[in-house]
Amino acid sequence: MSVRSDPLSFNRLQSGDRTTELCAILTQAKLVRINKVTQEVEPALAESWTVDADHRRYTLKLRDVRFSDDHPFTADDVVFTFAALYDKKNDSVLADSMTVNGKPLTVAAVDAHTVTITFPSPYGPGVRILDNVPILPKHKLDAAESAGTFAKAWTVATPTADLAGAGPFVLTSYAPGQRLVFDRNPHYWRTSASGEHLPYLDRITVEMIPDQNAEMLRIEGGQLDVMNDDVTAEAYAAVKQAANQGRVQMLDVGSAMQADSYWFNLKPGAFANDPRASWIQRDELRHAISMAVDRKTFADTVFLGAADPVYGPVSPSNRTWYWTGTPTTPHDPKAAKALLATIGLVDRNNDGVLVDAQGKPARFSILVQTGRPRLERAASVIADELKRIGLTVDIVTLEGNAVIGKILSGQYDSVYFAPTMSDIDPATNLDFWLSSGGFHLWNPSQKTPSTPWEKQIDDLMRRQSAVSDPAERKRLFDEVQKIFIEHDPIVYFAARHIYVAVSSRVTTVIPAVDLFPVMWAADQIAVKH
Amino acid sequence: MMRRIGIALVVAWALAAASAPVLAPYSADTRFAALLNAPPTVPHLSGARLTIQPWRLVSRLEQQYDRDSSREIALRWFAHGHLVESSDPAVPLTLLGTDSFGRDVFSRMLFGARTSLSLGLVSAIGAVVIGALAGGVAGYLGGPLDDVLMRTSDFVMVLPAMYVALALRSVMPLVLPASTVFVLLSAIFAIVGAPFIARGVRAIVRSERTLDYAVAAQALGASGPRILFRHLLPAAFGFIAIQLTLLVPGFIVAEATLSFVGLGFPNPIASWGTMLHDASANVRVFADFPWLLSPAAAMFLVVLGLNLALEGRRTGLESLR
Amino acid sequence: MTAYIVRRLAFALFLVVAVSSASLVLAEIAPGDASLARLGPTASRQAMERARERYGLNRPLAVQYGDWLLHVLRLDFGTSMLYDRPVSELIPERAANTAILAITALVFATFVGLPLGVVTGTRRGGLLTNAIRGGSIVLLSMPPLLTSLFLVFLAARTGWLPIGGMRSATTAGGGVLDVLQHLLVPAAAIGLPLAAMFERLQSQAIAETIAEPFVIATLARGVPRRRVIWRDALKASLRPVAAVYGLVVGTLLSGSFAVEVITAWPGIGRLMLDALSARDVYLVAGCAGVGSVFLACATLLSDVALAYVDPRVRE
Repeated sequence: MSVRSDPLSFNRLQSGDRTTELCAILTQAKLVRINKVTQEVEPALAESWTVDADHRRYTLKLRDVRFSDDHPFTADDVVFTFAALYDKKNDSVLADSMTVNGKPLTVAAVDAHTVTITFPSPYGPGVRILDNVPILPKHKLDAAESAGTFAKAWTVATPTADLAGAGPFVLTSYAPGQRLVFDRNPHYWRTSASGEHLPYLDRITVEMIPDQNAEMLRIEGGQLDVMNDDVTAEAYAAVKQAANQGRVQMLDVGSAMQADSYWFNLKPGAFANDPRASWIQRDELRHAISMAVDRKTFADTVFLGAADPVYGPVSPSNRTWYWTGTPTTPHDPKAAKALLATIGLVDRNNDGVLVDAQGKPARFSILVQTGRPRLERAASVIADELKRIGLTVDIVTLEGNAVIGKILSGQYDSVYFAPTMSDIDPATNLDFWLSSGGFHLWNPSQKTPSTPWEKQIDDLMRRQSAVSDPAERKRLFDEVQKIFIEHDPIVYFAARHIYVAVSSRVTTVIPAVDLFPVMWAADQIAVKH
Repeated sequence: MMRRIGIALVVAWALAAASAPVLAPYSADTRFAALLNAPPTVPHLSGARLTIQPWRLVSRLEQQYDRDSSREIALRWFAHGHLVESSDPAVPLTLLGTDSFGRDVFSRMLFGARTSLSLGLVSAIGAVVIGALAGGVAGYLGGPLDDVLMRTSDFVMVLPAMYVALALRSVMPLVLPASTVFVLLSAIFAIVGAPFIARGVRAIVRSERTLDYAVAAQALGASGPRILFRHLLPAAFGFIAIQLTLLVPGFIVAEATLSFVGLGFPNPIASWGTMLHDASANVRVFADFPWLLSPAAAMFLVVLGLNLALEGRRTGLESLR
Repeated sequence: MTAYIVRRLAFALFLVVAVSSASLVLAEIAPGDASLARLGPTASRQAMERARERYGLNRPLAVQYGDWLLHVLRLDFGTSMLYDRPVSELIPERAANTAILAITALVFATFVGLPLGVVTGTRRGGLLTNAIRGGSIVLLSMPPLLTSLFLVFLAARTGWLPIGGMRSATTAGGGVLDVLQHLLVPAAAIGLPLAAMFERLQSQAIAETIAEPFVIATLARGVPRRRVIWRDALKASLRPVAAVYGLVVGTLLSGSFAVEVITAWPGIGRLMLDALSARDVYLVAGCAGVGSVFLACATLLSDVALAYVDPRVRE
């Protein structure tokens, strides 16, 4: 299969880039695994678990299995992994996401095959959070941790013989800039439903192909089995053609769980000396935009029709969490104009351009990343649709990281962006929902909530993440969605349809809507010889 | 003869660029939402009139179109300030098809000619002026000044322009008007292109300097600058001319590369570089959407014209010597 | 002569430091920093602050630069923030890969472009001349991105050549033949436009040369036309190409990134692009430094070649 770039590290605790994550999926195992198709938690290294009455302490019974180097897996490895994760010296990239209300989990070994994990406060998702942490072998990394050099352990310069894991594959070679080769792990403990030893595959070769076009050509030519990502709208036709000729199989995986996001800079004071301050951060502006953009045109142009309209932060395909009462905003440019008039933007001289009280045209910019055709098309459609109701929009394209830099420093008018989220459970995305979160896109890292509705959402989300009853959690999250839609801090237009292309060699595969649509279940992929 | 053809080509493109608003049926950012990556509408004779047949969408996702041969839409000439347009506003006249945003490639090519040709020309002239001066002075005077000039040109050469562009873009305000972008880009290109000229001119001047006629001129009391400009630099004209034909397409293309770090023209402005860049985003372009590559053909014609026109000058030089 | 070379080497060293410094400073100015790339945008503010502190990114620019410079003087080029490996380890292997590519393209361009230039420069009109000239102009009108994409596309459609990469996964270690097979497409993508450039330059240069008195005199002496062109005129006409040669070689290294990205060639151009996107400033500086090393060597060689080719240039 292919990836775009080299892994930054072989130590999943120290780096979160995509290729490192892929290596971890292939070579490491976690205590539990979330089945990306059913969204249910499945046992992995933990065979079974029970929870105490207060919903804080989980006792997990561990499997009696071995690592790839034949060393036995015990509770010590679990304790060790979490200790290294929380060790401030290591500054692990996973540390913050594995805390509840800022406090770490307490992990203790009861005996060689049982651990207890105690949450500092009741946590709704429960063991779901454990899907983030690969369990590392203590016998390989203990020396580094004791010496304080864990952060530098298992860099990409590490010889492959020094690596070990409980995952389905073992890394056997790494050629920088070119490829990683993984061979099957003979000690892998999982068996298929029919009792066969997994993984089915003997070897996975991960090629580094930075360019998507080259990747497309390779899969068409039969030189690649699985792609890095799902099929983009532009590439759909080429893949379909290849599929018709039998060279490629196209799998329809369903709708994306979240649509691309369009939001304004809502940081208080961001437009301090700007005459637009009276209207640019108002809810009405965003409501008007939501009404002015025809979602069907949007889906047709941006995704070539392969998308469904969405009106809120959760798309209907996320059946577990979607609020079925989500109102569908009608496409109504007249109503949009009327709404804008209430915040002082009126077409005074009938030239088609809305102006404010001083007569200055209503004008703002959309920031978009270069090199992402879908995002650029989207910004272009939004700009055109808004022009129809008299808003003048400048599209500003900047280099990828520069856009993120601008978002984080709050130096922009509005942004069209495609954020990624790993788990659909909203409690695992608190840094987005909470106003204090670093990923609270429109106004990140607030010390105290700057608006009453954000405070409401904060409270609801905190309760939602602490409660265990799924129905109650859903009810609370529905409430959150309701408030969110009332104020539209982010406007959503359409969620794209996900297609995955694999070569004709692949016989068994379980595609899902995930960061790794095919590789999330790498141990169950099979090809014909 | 060839020279005339060359000049004619260049002049034709210049005229086309200048009269883009009239020649182009649509503006550079008019989008036809139902026609993404649609093939060209080819005018043909139907009876005594020129007509086109509309494209019907067969599959939006696969971007397949079917010609509706039951309808013939007449073309209207000299209407609404355009040379030619379709008589039915719902059926656009797209002589070179549409791009992935649904914009008419032909119109964008004409408007893009303005941007790219002027940018390429201004940058190339800038590079020639800076380079010829630097190279000429370095070659003539030699010594430490020569060293300094050549090392500076090396520095400029090897510093990746991308880094400069990225840093520059980030200190500029978010919304850059097209004129600012133009000035920035031509400045960067002129500076980056100058070393090529400087090196060649320096070599030529250095060798010519020792020739009889130059020595004689010096003996006769001609001043340094006079010798340099009147006698030595003209020897480099041929080299400069050819370099010009190499720089212009290079700059036009480099504009697309720099737009990747955000230093590009804002959206409604079309340019050949970005058109080609957008075209290369989809590997299907060679097999299925070849009309998207028309800016390359346009560039070919311009560079051909430049080559022919400038090569022809050679004959004039030979008789001078 | 030795003093000249010493002086050039000294300047070259200065150039390397200057370019690396400039690149470092430029990469720092651009918004975002390596902590962003390493942790991803979802990381919390505190995590990013801690990362920045760890990498020393929260110090003032002057302090960071001074620190880096001091290290460089001790030949320590810093640690890449992205890969956690010393810059001096990451670069050589990738630079070597690009060098292989660049040298192949250069050799091709020289031995194809120059002779073709002689052909078109010494004849007037004719089908061959116009065809070659037309071909050169086509190549010069295509952006490198498009040329490489087209060649990869051809390779894919015809199935003759591997689509990208440097070595096949199956050949253990990669035989020379295997690398050569993979080398063809990227080398052609760089070499063809380069050959076109050389052809145009050489064509003009030799056309001017054959008008010179010494050529006419030699012809009058009865020396066959072919020999006059390919021996005497050629040597005298190499001056402009020799002058530009060094620059071309020097820029090949960093200009190769478009080709390397499309053909997935593991070279330094790609590394530079990744480093720049991630704002890995030490890696950025290192790559730029390597580029300038190559340029310095190339211009030195080019000046030597110039002196050889045109004795009038020697002082």
